[in-house]
Amino acid sequence: MHDIRLRKPMANPSAAYGAAPPSGVHHQTLAGLLVLASLAVLMLVGSRVDPAFGTFAVLGVAIGGTLQRSRFCFNSAFRDLIQFRSGRTMKGVIVGMTVATAGFGIHMRNLLPNPSLGPIAPEAHAIPLSVALLVGGMLFGIGMVVAGGCTSGSLYRIGEGYLASWVSVAGILAGLVLASHHWNWWWQHAIRRAPVVWLPRYLGYGGAVAATLVGLGLAYGLVLWIESRGGVGVQEFTAPASVRSFHEKLREIVAAVFGRGWPAPVGGAVLGFLNVLSYTAHMPWRVVGELSRWGNAAAAVVGLGPGPLQGTDELSACVVTVGGGVFTHGFLLNVGLIGGSLAAALLAHEFKWRIPRRPVRYLQSLGGGVFMGYGSGLALGCTAGAFFSAVPSLAVNGWIFAMALVAGASIGLRAINWIP
Amino acid sequence: MLLDVRGETCPYPMKKAIEAMERLPIGEVLEVLVDHPPAIDTIRMAANRYGFRMDVEPAGSGEWRIYLRRDTMR
Repeated sequence: MHDIRLRKPMANPSAAYGAAPPSGVHHQTLAGLLVLASLAVLMLVGSRVDPAFGTFAVLGVAIGGTLQRSRFCFNSAFRDLIQFRSGRTMKGVIVGMTVATAGFGIHMRNLLPNPSLGPIAPEAHAIPLSVALLVGGMLFGIGMVVAGGCTSGSLYRIGEGYLASWVSVAGILAGLVLASHHWNWWWQHAIRRAPVVWLPRYLGYGGAVAATLVGLGLAYGLVLWIESRGGVGVQEFTAPASVRSFHEKLREIVAAVFGRGWPAPVGGAVLGFLNVLSYTAHMPWRVVGELSRWGNAAAAVVGLGPGPLQGTDELSACVVTVGGGVFTHGFLLNVGLIGGSLAAALLAHEFKWRIPRRPVRYLQSLGGGVFMGYGSGLALGCTAGAFFSAVPSLAVNGWIFAMALVAGASIGLRAINWIP
Repeated sequence: MLLDVRGETCPYPMKKAIEAMERLPIGEVLEVLVDHPPAIDTIRMAANRYGFRMDVEPAGSGEWRIYLRRDTMR
């Protein structure tokens, strides 16, 4: 038996999370509802300016809430598999990509009925297979393990009150600015002539979806095999069998959704579904293209802007960007993500200002962030854009990026062992 | 024995819990204070691997108290 055992029998399932005061509503519940209400007002006001404003703000909030509830951490998906042979989170990631693969396939067929002619479906995350993708993936893998979270992870942890995540994001922005300065070199020497391998061009949509699903099935099998070789299982929380009355059942549902963490496959499936919605509204879920815009705008203020970037209009996914308005869809996704995570953390009574006590942790967050920023600049995306949204885009680059991430995460784990 | 790893994020809470489990005198309970939710899962993985039984209880907003005891059943 390796399940969580609460010290007292759970007469009240909601007692499983943050102890509520004996009477009245917990102050974090009130704060969470207030955050949700403020987000709703912002969306309604914004939707009068642009209808898509509301859509992407809602998607951002939903993605942030899902990441927080399921503790969906791409970093731990790779790290736990390597370190503990535990595939708990990675299985959730694979479930999410499976859901998105079907949805992306249908949507891309609507966008571009005949994929064999040459062009790639608009906004699909099909990225050139170049050395930059490999180097970028490895740097990103190192950075996420050292910083203790990837880009989307750092954003949702800002919502949970992690001070170090602000430092990580600052590092990511700095890394993206640096990558923007080096961009033209990488474009000329590596990315420009590299091939894009988008499966529907060769296999049609049906074949490409089937091949990707088989690939995901094999990946799931590989995770199971790794677990069977001395991995440690973690049992998901199960509802107490004693729940009977309607009132108790309602309370149990509320506790399961808002209180306890969601099982990884549930989080993955919801995230995959939200990704499909995001693509049908405009573009797959992506994070760092927008962050590069923030970084470069800030750099330009102090005279360190990167200047014109070559070839970026020929590329999709999270290509480094300069300029543009403030309220883009990417802005709403990223800022909504932080707001959604904050609301979810408050409703679960899990918000807390988390302040590292060891100064070296700030250095790790900053350094890891710079590695992630530079790596995602080269690879045209992070674990969200170049992996979670790339594999369902039916492009080979998502798989290559994942392999580079594994290599980088292994190096990152060695580095972590030297830092007490 | 009390181990306070509040403020630490993955993988440090788990790493420090493992170090403490290895040093824990026979018959004693290791009490770990965490405020990083994913650490509950990673410490559980470590507990399983090192043959410890684990209990968790909330300890205020965003904090948990974890009790680790050597599992005598295995």
